[in-house]
Amino acid sequence: MIENFLAGSSALFGDPFTIGIFVFGVIGGMLFGAIPGVSMLTLAAILLPFTAGLEPAQGVMLFAVIYCTGTYGGAITAILFNIPGSAENAPTAFDGYPMTQKGQSGKAVGAAVLCSAIGGMASALVMMTATEPLANWAIRNIGPPEIFALVFFGLAVASTVGARTIWKGWMSVLIGLLIATIGQDPVGGINRYNFGLTDLAAGIAFVPAILGFFAVSEIFVQAEKKASGKYKAPKVSMTFPSFLELWMHKIAVFRSIIVGFFCGILPGIGATLAAFMSYGEAVRWSKKKEEFGKGKLEGVISAETANNAATGAAMIPLLALGLPGGALTAMMVAVFQMHDLQPGPLVFMLSPDLIWIVFAAMFYANLSILLIGVLETKTILNLLKIPFQFLAPLILMLATTGAYISRGLVLDVMIMFAAGIIGYLLRRTGFSIPAIVLGLILGKIGEQNFAQGMQMVHYDIGTYFSRPICTVLIAAGAITLLSSIYRAFTSAKTAE
Amino acid sequence: MGRLTRHNLVEAAIFFLIVAVFFGFSFEFNQPIEIYIFGATAWPRVIIGLLLIATLGNLWFQYKHGSATQGTLGQSEDRPDFSAPGTIPRMVAVLLTPFLFAWLLKPVGIYSSAPFFIAAIIWLFGERRWKAILLMTVIIYVVFIGLFLMILNAPLPQGNMSPFYDFSAWILTMNAKLQGI
Repeated sequence: MIENFLAGSSALFGDPFTIGIFVFGVIGGMLFGAIPGVSMLTLAAILLPFTAGLEPAQGVMLFAVIYCTGTYGGAITAILFNIPGSAENAPTAFDGYPMTQKGQSGKAVGAAVLCSAIGGMASALVMMTATEPLANWAIRNIGPPEIFALVFFGLAVASTVGARTIWKGWMSVLIGLLIATIGQDPVGGINRYNFGLTDLAAGIAFVPAILGFFAVSEIFVQAEKKASGKYKAPKVSMTFPSFLELWMHKIAVFRSIIVGFFCGILPGIGATLAAFMSYGEAVRWSKKKEEFGKGKLEGVISAETANNAATGAAMIPLLALGLPGGALTAMMVAVFQMHDLQPGPLVFMLSPDLIWIVFAAMFYANLSILLIGVLETKTILNLLKIPFQFLAPLILMLATTGAYISRGLVLDVMIMFAAGIIGYLLRRTGFSIPAIVLGLILGKIGEQNFAQGMQMVHYDIGTYFSRPICTVLIAAGAITLLSSIYRAFTSAKTAE
Repeated sequence: MGRLTRHNLVEAAIFFLIVAVFFGFSFEFNQPIEIYIFGATAWPRVIIGLLLIATLGNLWFQYKHGSATQGTLGQSEDRPDFSAPGTIPRMVAVLLTPFLFAWLLKPVGIYSSAPFFIAAIIWLFGERRWKAILLMTVIIYVVFIGLFLMILNAPLPQGNMSPFYDFSAWILTMNAKLQGI
């Protein structure tokens, strides 16, 4: 492994042009992740056509680097503006944004820098060691029934996060799932709910929907606060967490690396579930559960360690099985295809150089977060000094461009603003935006794998449950669901 | 009526309408798939059924407990407030302006409509000093053009109506000349 890593490193740093691409990916991923309203997906969408002119290893490496640093960058907007750069940063906002409102933004961002780097580097090391055995195991044990079971489990967890009541949590997930049914059905290719619009045949694109639900709805919430005179400018602070404060959370970091890695390795779910589960586990193991959601450092640490720990792991299903774990890894499949390559077990045999350049680049990208993250973060913290009436149109312009350029459709801009209005109304009435987005992302994956799984077992539910991993995951989802059904009927906190 | 408010009933009515519309439209694609016995409608209809149950449960909860909350993770304690005079008309304007901008993108293009949109948003967010509005509009417009047109060469909507299309073409020509230099 060490020889391969060194070979990958020398291939990466032996060519000035490749170094240039690496540096561009590191800075671009961080910047686009950290600018409110755009994300690493925006940058990836813009760059996708240009990768055709690069070597396959350079193109895939660029996207892998953007994935690592963009995942960290998304935490900055989640913490400072309550706008997660992508779905995997959503749990970071639960405690990060309240910390900003309390004047502890520097502490939250500092923890995100360190924990993203630790989580990412640990994941990269485990990825290098364990890719081949894990790939072999996954090939034998993970099929459509297991993926559907994972989606079910992920959605059961998501319904308990962020909404004002459990009923509204379920409604949020179901709205996301319903939106995901728009477009062609994944089995027969039959058009569903396109209402006569041919552009809707491909369904609702993730980028405009995510931009609308998170970025645009946040602008509307801030506009409402401005109009009602309740707006409070976020307090800027440059106090980073002390070593002692971080050392006190070592168990949370370790637990989050494990949760992040194992969630990240699962195809189709990846970093988003990792961050949600890690946050959930942090609450479950905490003696002061009531402090979560109100600005607790451990909430930021758990979510950020896990989502970066998932980045390395997410490469395993992509490279070993050809299954993307999210929107960015799906774009990486397109990079492979542009070069007449198909990600999957054959890549390990045919292009080991490519694999090890990508692995080495991901390790160094996470190290870069630690080295330049602090410097860049201090610059970004100054963004908070700009009055929001000047920041809002900039965010809306960037979001408009991000929504448009992914497919070149004005319809996507319309969808983004519609999602913004719907998101604003749902947020103000106690629904959970992260649950809606998770339902939207996992809906089609869930349906496709359910259908494939049922075909595999010849529609026999008994055979479905004879698969141990599938049984464990469905049981875990069912227990989560049953406990929340019990709480839905028995618990109620009187409003003030 | 229990503890139900008019707001709760409106919310439930909207969700019932969504359920009815999606269920109604599901008959448009209700056709068998040879390789899959559940067809194209089974998955959406299960979701619609579950959404109906969850909406009824939510209505029951609000009937019993009013605006009480339950112990879910990460819920916001922030509540909307429209009590200040002029909040609702201003919010309607804030919500509709981006739609107007999006609708104008096809005929007018982004290069012509963006300055007006930027200025309108700054004004709607409460800024009344016209010099500040003008200056910030120019700065944001220049940053936007610099980033997406000059650095990233992103293909943006140019409009299809004269003279807006001509203005977009002039900006693109200027950019090409600058890139050449």
